[in-house]
Amino acid sequence: MAMSSKILLVEDDQTTADFIASGLEQEGFLVDRATNGRDGLFLGTDTDYQCIVLDRMLPGLDGMAVLAALRGAGVHTPVIVLSALGAAEDRIAGLTGGSDDYLAKPFAFAELLARIRLLIRRSQNASAPQTSLSCADLEMDLLARRVRRAGQTIDLQPREFRLLEFLLRHVDQVVTRTMLLEGVWDYHFDPGTNVIDVHVSRLRKKIDEGHDRPLLHTVRGAGYRLGAER
Amino acid sequence: MPLPRLIPLRSTTFRLAVLVFLLQVVAGAALLLGLGALIRQQNHAEAVNLAENLRDDLLTIASPTDSRSTLAKAIDERLSRRLSRGIVLALVDGRGQIIAGNIESPLLTPTPGRAPRTLDMVRRGHAHAEATLVVPTALAGGDVLLAGTVVESDRQFLAIVERASLAALAMAVVLAAFAAVVAARQIASRLQATIITLGGVGQGNLSRRVPPDPSGDAFAVLGEEVNQALDRVAALNAELKIATDLLAHDLKSPLTRLSAALDRAEGLVEDQDAADAIARARAESARILAMVDTALSISRAEAGLGRESFREADLVQVLETIEEIYEPVLEEQDRTLSIEAPPRLLLPIHRQLINQAIGNLLDNTIKYGEGPIVLSLELMPEAVLLGVSDQGSGIAPDLREKALSRFGRLDEARGGWGAGLGLALVQAVAHLHGGTVILEDGPGGKGLRVTLRLPLAKAVS
Repeated sequence: MAMSSKILLVEDDQTTADFIASGLEQEGFLVDRATNGRDGLFLGTDTDYQCIVLDRMLPGLDGMAVLAALRGAGVHTPVIVLSALGAAEDRIAGLTGGSDDYLAKPFAFAELLARIRLLIRRSQNASAPQTSLSCADLEMDLLARRVRRAGQTIDLQPREFRLLEFLLRHVDQVVTRTMLLEGVWDYHFDPGTNVIDVHVSRLRKKIDEGHDRPLLHTVRGAGYRLGAER
Repeated sequence: MPLPRLIPLRSTTFRLAVLVFLLQVVAGAALLLGLGALIRQQNHAEAVNLAENLRDDLLTIASPTDSRSTLAKAIDERLSRRLSRGIVLALVDGRGQIIAGNIESPLLTPTPGRAPRTLDMVRRGHAHAEATLVVPTALAGGDVLLAGTVVESDRQFLAIVERASLAALAMAVVLAAFAAVVAARQIASRLQATIITLGGVGQGNLSRRVPPDPSGDAFAVLGEEVNQALDRVAALNAELKIATDLLAHDLKSPLTRLSAALDRAEGLVEDQDAADAIARARAESARILAMVDTALSISRAEAGLGRESFREADLVQVLETIEEIYEPVLEEQDRTLSIEAPPRLLLPIHRQLINQAIGNLLDNTIKYGEGPIVLSLELMPEAVLLGVSDQGSGIAPDLREKALSRFGRLDEARGGWGAGLGLALVQAVAHLHGGTVILEDGPGGKGLRVTLRLPLAKAVS
């Protein structure tokens, strides 16, 4: 996927920038780097980028100011803001300030990668209203709120239905536990207990048990992925 | 906030009102009585002066040693001149018989002595007795010369002044009472802006200030001083925010690098023991991060930061979402979770922090508690009670305060996640909402019930 997608990374901390850039390059992205807000803004006005990863605290021009300037200039490239300010207000301010996603430091690289991929994909297919979702022989009818696999109806509780709907909307993508909590329940806080793992293992039992080919995969160190391929 | 309806008897305001009232009444009474006395004295002096002049006039015409007839003639002559109306002259013998003069009734009492006095007398040709000031002068042979002036109109005038004074005094009492109430109200209302401002600050609204007061009096000075103190508090608060943000930044950047290094190491090692060690290191760094995050959340919430994120939300819906998230993991433990709540309960809240508080309480009971869990919501007249209860071993009453304090872990051997920040955060969230946390026995005296008491929004905009 993501054939030579270009990503702009604006981050002043050398170690963090190296870590993100090398990780993204390993995943096949082309990464341009800026170490201050002014350069970030200058490069960011180039619309070739599929996504901009923007640190919030930057020397010179602050990250939120760069974001405001970009949006003011009509640049609609998806932006994910990285910040050491993890408090709820900062997250809300970041999101209302025009960013598409907000990630508090420190984060696992897999979390950042999953979110970047989600943003790129979302901006590529501006989602038309859908009435059904599917993955291999798993089908979801959103109007009748019915799920079938290989023609057999699967009985799901409402919460399981919504979880599966989120996974189906991000088919073949890695979704992390925090993405599930945010996307399904609008819950911005990591519980100290493994609540998501239990949800997923129950859902997996219902959709994969009795079928040769599992669809719901665990991605080690990152989260989950729904897809036909292993 | 309305003005205090009932002024307490011991209050300074009431005492001041009473003082104003008494002073007004005393001043009014002194003015009126003093004026009456002054008029009376003045009239008396004038009348005495007139009577004495009259007497002296007569005695220069006829000396006391002259015969009765000379004096009687002089009296008649003086009276016939009709120059001055309202004068009284009489020559009375030792038995009280009137020899000459213009009074009719015989005098009942002899009039010894020379002091001027006021008597009721009937003048010749008059129907009624009139108040008359007379100066008696003893003559030879026991006769007495009475010279005087009718002061009836003065007396009537004084009576009118007295009546008017009484009426004015009654009115002064009413006005004084009115002035007292106005003075008391004035003080209360002048302080009202300051009281409202400080009330708002007490509830965490640090941006409130006493409105400017151009009068420059003590109340205005008080308002200015309060504002200066609030500015200082706000500045300290802002410094705290900057400090916590910097602390977050300074701690999180190295933590990010640490986890990046661990990420990289994980991809490089092939030895299983090394991989396990890296996994443990990652878990520990995640734990440090969680502690830093929670500690910062507590500091911020306790400092009142985050009120701008309050939005009205249905607490029942909040609980239902949390129930949905936590139900499967609880079912795995063979425990049940139920909600006892009205159909709907709207309250302005910081939804994310309320979620986190309830999540912490559920994480706690998952780790340390037992039995069915009840999430309850109760609407009281002044507050909403949000409770999380279980049927486990609970917390002994003497340990409850420690449980709420930061880093106040009850059992060091419990290990695992957290550093005793869970309940401290719950308390900080309650404080942010102007509320409190109550730890008590669970239903039936078993287990633990943690209640967040969230006051209903006051009419402070």
